[in-house]
Amino acid sequence: MDVSAVLELVRLGLSGIVVAIGLLLIAGGALGLLRFPDLYTRLHAANVADVVGSVVVVLGLAIAAPDWNIALRLLLLAALLIALGPTLTHLVAQAAHAAGLAPIAGRYAAPRPGATRSSTPQ
Amino acid sequence: MTALAAAIGVGIALLLCVVRLFAGPSLYDRTLAANGVIIKLAIIVGAAGVITAQAVFVDAALAFVLASVVANVAVLKFFRSRSFQTPLARAEDM
Repeated sequence: MDVSAVLELVRLGLSGIVVAIGLLLIAGGALGLLRFPDLYTRLHAANVADVVGSVVVVLGLAIAAPDWNIALRLLLLAALLIALGPTLTHLVAQAAHAAGLAPIAGRYAAPRPGATRSSTPQ
Repeated sequence: MTALAAAIGVGIALLLCVVRLFAGPSLYDRTLAANGVIIKLAIIVGAAGVITAQAVFVDAALAFVLASVVANVAVLKFFRSRSFQTPLARAEDM
């Protein structure tokens, strides 16, 4: 068994471990998105667990990629996900807050008068 | 093998996101769930690129993520004022 075969085996094992960690994070994020009671708690689940899980899964796929061509594009995909996920989460939270969607617990300060409805029209 | 496992696991999470997409009580829940669906679809397409060893699939995944961002920003910007032509003055100034 020469060195390159051992390196290939180590590469595949490492990608398996990284993808498993990412799938665990994605499962937590999806369960939180499904089961949490409020938009803001759902945003918390989607931001923290889902974005990090997506990036880790894509990094594991980049380790497992058969080609440098595919690996570099997967790294670019991971960079896009880690840049755009928190941005979109911030946009959703800010739009919901400006529309007057109140969280179910805690103090809530309306952003402008007349925006204190407890829920937005569907 | 690893890519196939990743695609199956992310597919299960995609089904949970679809449930939230159709059950979400407010508009913003649906926006968030739609974003999650498209991002998970992009990961599945990237895994398909690793399985078939074709880089075109990963390019399609990049296009999915960028289109998702543009569509979500457009939806949130529209439902902030319910208009495509936002007035430049505030309501109390007019």
